[in-house]
Amino acid sequence: MNSNATIDPVQTHLISELKHSRPLTTLRVDPESRYVAAGAQDLDVQLWDLEDGRLRTLSGHQSWVRSIDFSADSKQLYTACWGGVVNIWDLTQDAAPIIRSIPAHQGAARWVRVSPDGTRLATCGNDLLVKLWNIETGEQELELKGHERHVYGVDFHPDGGHLVSQDLMGAIFIWDLKTGGQQRKIDAGMMTGYDKKFAADMGGARDMQFNACGSRWASAGITKVVNSFAGIQDPIIVVFDWETGEATRQLRAAENFKGVAWAVRFHPQGFLVGGGADKSGKGELWFYNDGSDEAFHTFKMKSAARGVDLVGADRLAVAHADGHVRLYQMTAEATEPDDIGSIPAVDRDIADSDDLDSGLPAERSVLGPEGR
Amino acid sequence: MRRNQDCNGIDHLIARRDFLWGSAAGAIGLGALSSPLNAAALQRQQKRVLQIYLQGGVSQLESWDPKPGTQYGGPFQAIPTSVPGIHISELLPHTASRMHMLSLVRGINSKIGDHRQGMLFMEKGRRAGDYPYLGSVVSKYLAPADAELPGYIHISKRGIVDSTAAFLGARHAELKLLGDQAPANLASPNTIDETADEARQRLRVQFDRRFSQQRSRALTDVYNSSFEQAEKLMKRKAMFEGAVGEQDLDRYGRHDFGRHCILARDLLENGATCVKVTHHGYDTHAENFNFHLEQLGEFDKTFSMLLDDLHDRGMLDSTLVIVYSEMGRTPKINTKYGRDHWGTAWSVAMGGCGIQPAAVIGKTNDEGTEVVEREVDGGHLFHTYLSALGLDSTTDHDVAGKSIPIGDPAAAPIEELLA
Repeated sequence: MNSNATIDPVQTHLISELKHSRPLTTLRVDPESRYVAAGAQDLDVQLWDLEDGRLRTLSGHQSWVRSIDFSADSKQLYTACWGGVVNIWDLTQDAAPIIRSIPAHQGAARWVRVSPDGTRLATCGNDLLVKLWNIETGEQELELKGHERHVYGVDFHPDGGHLVSQDLMGAIFIWDLKTGGQQRKIDAGMMTGYDKKFAADMGGARDMQFNACGSRWASAGITKVVNSFAGIQDPIIVVFDWETGEATRQLRAAENFKGVAWAVRFHPQGFLVGGGADKSGKGELWFYNDGSDEAFHTFKMKSAARGVDLVGADRLAVAHADGHVRLYQMTAEATEPDDIGSIPAVDRDIADSDDLDSGLPAERSVLGPEGR
Repeated sequence: MRRNQDCNGIDHLIARRDFLWGSAAGAIGLGALSSPLNAAALQRQQKRVLQIYLQGGVSQLESWDPKPGTQYGGPFQAIPTSVPGIHISELLPHTASRMHMLSLVRGINSKIGDHRQGMLFMEKGRRAGDYPYLGSVVSKYLAPADAELPGYIHISKRGIVDSTAAFLGARHAELKLLGDQAPANLASPNTIDETADEARQRLRVQFDRRFSQQRSRALTDVYNSSFEQAEKLMKRKAMFEGAVGEQDLDRYGRHDFGRHCILARDLLENGATCVKVTHHGYDTHAENFNFHLEQLGEFDKTFSMLLDDLHDRGMLDSTLVIVYSEMGRTPKINTKYGRDHWGTAWSVAMGGCGIQPAAVIGKTNDEGTEVVEREVDGGHLFHTYLSALGLDSTTDHDVAGKSIPIGDPAAAPIEELLA
């Protein structure tokens, strides 16, 4: 895997792919970087073991899975679907049975995240609610009201005592879990747009993540809506400061990329990775450091990216609209083929790295560790 | 060849089914329904049309013909309705509980995947040619001569004003209202009192008469129709000036579509013959599912409230309700989570006047990619609408001595859908 090599996003290249028959909708890698779980435009969850290449298909949802998380020990999987149900799966058993199925929301359950202490799940959905669940009992512990439009994303602050949630209109609420109350409201109006022609709103967090120390969080989505019904708007990743609630950075893609930012991850070495889908159906990965809101490197992919996660520190797993999970290595290509276990290597021609930022490498050095 | 030379309006258009029903009933007697007396009765009954146009092409898979769990079914579930055996999308829970007032046509293959051409086919019942829209035909044959409102009113926030009347004349063209705001200049200038206003109208008519003596009548018809429509609206301007009731807004919703549907109800109740409300935002090439959540979420409750009010006010039996688009959307989901244009296998809903409730006509295959039973198109639907209103769509328009078939002679009503 060349994991000892220096991580350099500019060297990003495709190393393997995992194939499913339907377009993928989301993806999550477990904390031990052993499993990749992906939802798709079907009713199942695909769970690949990166060590031995084994695929398990988990059936039990009645609708598409749109958000996934793992327990810290990788023994449980949490999935939320458009039908409003959150399932808890036991990965210690070969068949990975459902431990508990929670009818969490009326309408879609858009997001699920496990608390830092592993005892609770946060979910949000189209019933305008954010909810907190006890994993052990499956009981609802909190119901947080305040959003006026569909709630797209929710995540725990690393201190475990707070939640952040974001809705269609860019309203972000910080919730204090001790009091069960709304602590702050932040306007992320840049992440929503009203399409005058079609008389409809578009926006929402398509991915959210805190950095490891909790000083910042990032939200991926859209901005500058021109014709959202044709997918013509700009992707954006907004970084917020936890203390002030200010949007400190607005990270963009290249001018000609029109679509959605579907993913954002803080890399332990301090740079930030985003991923998205262009209206053409192609995808891109964007790499940002603290020096600029423009990506210091853009990696082009032939298929739209709908979810990105880190596999260890040196690889990225991407859920693609063409049904593949592709693994990309962020180190220089080995002169000899790497041993990547049972996962089949791929024809390198199917994705091309293209450094669009030849003028930016001066800012490319990575800054301060923000380990996950 | 000229036919029906002495035709005055709707007499010759009363549908065959009404004629036969009248004959069978005996009390009225053979032929009685084609008499001017019955034409007047039909007008007194004031049959109406309510068109809800979901502009852009609503997805049949997210509305009337869901296919959950299939390759192209999307993320939404199907839910049971008030009619056992009929399921529609979970995005329409309010409509589902009123399914007993509606029927579905699930076998439409219009073969048109273009907004403009699809809309024209659905409105005219013909793929091409200068024919009038359904609303104009209804205005022509069902609007009472002394109607206090224009026969065909279209409420929409945007879009062009179409030439809807074709050869039926400007009197039957759509009057487009840009939302629920009163049209501009409904009030007479302060300096003109009622007497002065009547005097200037007389003068205008006098000038028109002289002008038209040596010219085609068509030249003055448009002009006169504009004045007549303006006059009708000016007399009814109070309709637009009253504040919308809080209770109505609570029920219908405070968004544009809610307000437009409240106005549509009021217009129908006050004598309008055809009211069309356009709900924009269904051309979902991207984010089809999120947008249908939003748009149908807005449509569902509002439409259901309107249906309830028509029913509760005793108007549903005399009002044909049509919910339609210019096409459907592709079963295949593109990389933007969108569905594209699709004329091959899609659906409309209808109910009320002359429509058998709780029926499903036509069927698509398991993945919704083609019609497998009772395939119909815009021509069949056009005939069906008119037949449901008691008009014989197989007869002709009489236009200055020229006979023009009202419906496409190559199509026919969907008989099994008629009450």
